[in-house]
Amino acid sequence: MSIEAINISKQFGKFAALDNVSLEIPSGELVALLGPSGSGKTTLLRVIAGLEFADSGTVRFDGRDISDRTARERRVGFVFQHYALFRHMTVFENIAFGLKVRPRDTRPSKKQIHDKVHELLKLIQLETLAQRYPSQLSGGQRQRVALARALAVEPKVLLLDEPFGALDAKVRLELRRWLRQLHDEIHITSVFVTHDQEEALEVADRVVVMNHGRIEQIGSPEQVYNHPATPFVYNFLGNVNLFHGRLEGDKAYINEWETGHVVYVRPHLLEIDRQPNGGSHFRARIKHINAAGPLVKVEATAEWGDPVHIEMSQEKFSDLQLLKDESVFVVPKDVKVFQSGEVSRQT
Amino acid sequence: MERAPYAELGGKRTRVKRGLSAQAGRLCHKKSMATALALKNLWAAPDKAAQATTERSWVRWSLITVAVLFLGTFLFLPLAVVFVSAFAKGVSVYFAALREPDTLAAIRLTLLAAGVAVPMNMVFGIAAAWAIGRFEFFGKSFLITLIDLPFSVSPVVSGLIYVLIFGLQGLLGPWLAAHDLKIIFAVPGIVLATTFVTFPFVARELIPLVQAQGNEEEEAALTLGASGWQTFFRVTLPNIKWGLLYGVILCNARAMGEFGAVSVVSGHIRGLTNTVPLQIEILYNEYQFAPAFAVASLLALLALVTLVVKSAVEWKAHKHVEQMEAAVVSIAAPVMTPLPGVKAA
Repeated sequence: MSIEAINISKQFGKFAALDNVSLEIPSGELVALLGPSGSGKTTLLRVIAGLEFADSGTVRFDGRDISDRTARERRVGFVFQHYALFRHMTVFENIAFGLKVRPRDTRPSKKQIHDKVHELLKLIQLETLAQRYPSQLSGGQRQRVALARALAVEPKVLLLDEPFGALDAKVRLELRRWLRQLHDEIHITSVFVTHDQEEALEVADRVVVMNHGRIEQIGSPEQVYNHPATPFVYNFLGNVNLFHGRLEGDKAYINEWETGHVVYVRPHLLEIDRQPNGGSHFRARIKHINAAGPLVKVEATAEWGDPVHIEMSQEKFSDLQLLKDESVFVVPKDVKVFQSGEVSRQT
Repeated sequence: MERAPYAELGGKRTRVKRGLSAQAGRLCHKKSMATALALKNLWAAPDKAAQATTERSWVRWSLITVAVLFLGTFLFLPLAVVFVSAFAKGVSVYFAALREPDTLAAIRLTLLAAGVAVPMNMVFGIAAAWAIGRFEFFGKSFLITLIDLPFSVSPVVSGLIYVLIFGLQGLLGPWLAAHDLKIIFAVPGIVLATTFVTFPFVARELIPLVQAQGNEEEEAALTLGASGWQTFFRVTLPNIKWGLLYGVILCNARAMGEFGAVSVVSGHIRGLTNTVPLQIEILYNEYQFAPAFAVASLLALLALVTLVVKSAVEWKAHKHVEQMEAAVVSIAAPVMTPLPGVKAA
């Protein structure tokens, strides 16, 4: 089922949680709403679910206007950040809940409910824990039960609010890969909220970057990471060096304070050389080298005093044999210059 | 039912054999025995053990003596006196006093008043707790203060309020008289006064509980297609049931024992508007000590039963909370979760 949110606005007191947001999600896609806290991503998800009602705007499922329908009528699967499992019910009862509360004429038989629940338990790989209570499960197991519970009612849309936010790093990684796999199997239109850019880029088909109640950019993970539309997106997705500069033609001059252009360079797009190679470069002095991990992270100070972060491969690092306090030349391979929304480029 | 504990290591579930759980059980058992032993040592030779927080033995013993004397004189002795005086003239007098028609009428009226007031306060209490615990609205703190009013005002004043409103010279008196409705000096007045005085018990008990639990589970139930009533009976109520029961028990004890407010609105008509506490007072004032104490022993008994049930509920509710806390802890350290079935005996 496709989802459309058209011109949604929502105020909490004086705080504008959503400011005229429009979003279209085609059927079967897995979309991430990504943004810092207070960016309105959870509010947008809750408006789609019917747990919150927008002050203005329309929500459509498959082209039908469902703005006035309650959460109960919208029949979406919703997974909460803190699981919200019914603590007085076993895992089995939790998953069966949505089927048991159906009106008598559409309620499946006991046998059907039993089979359905066990099918879902198999899907989440927790078949042996059907009689456990939520308090007897680990965080990752609980979140899987919450997902099975949401899927039991066979929703056309799955909405997940920071589904892995309360889990530790390792379980998080495992669970998000599992979610991606699950989505590839059942192809249900899914929207999940996250503030973790890595999570969004890894799991989603499309990423919606939000800030201050507005959408900054919508695109594939590749698009938003490599072609950020706004300074915010550039800044939010991955590490970045910020320099002030001036734009003349298609050339950016760094270290010109008065003009108000900002030059963005990712750390891995800065190259270190011992000799000036004739192209654009600036001088820097190396302050600190961190060689642990797949990439070597070098902290340096630019000739005008700003700190510069540079990343390079281990190979390149061992070729160069860099030393602390050494003076080197830094070559930007790709930069982005922003000024009041305008995007320019210099290579 | 699956009873074997499991270990979770990096997301890989490994089943642990039953032998290990038994071992864990024995270990726990040993530990508790060791604790008991340590306690015994502390009790036997406190001077040698000389802990920083232990006082000299004469200080401890005089403090214990004072406490025991005080409790005995002011709590235990009166309770014993009630029962001793009730049976002072023999068992037959005791039961004869309870079978007396006016006394039976008083018992019936008390049961009626409590039977109406407690369910009403239960409904109001849940509604008030829900409204206060879940929503932000103008005048919320005023409403909380208002709920506490019956606790802070003297019961006599509570009774007088109703006389001033519903009495013959009261605000609604002439209208009630014209329609031949009797509230003051009649059963409705007693029920009203009882309800007023016992109003805060359930609400006060539930407000913090409802606030702490939040509404995520209810939202989950709604998205799963449950109706409002289904959500209430299957999700909300089971989560607050122990707190609710606790409030109801206290509410009931107070409803049956209420004297001041009921005394003002009752009119003390024997066999008609006398509740148990009022009946006791009348009997006592007429120097019928044995019957007075016989009826009083009923209330004392009610108090004891209330305390036992209350402790049982507290214990049960505490376990409920512990389970929830265990849930929180197991998120942080999901290494091994022992089940209730394999707890140390």
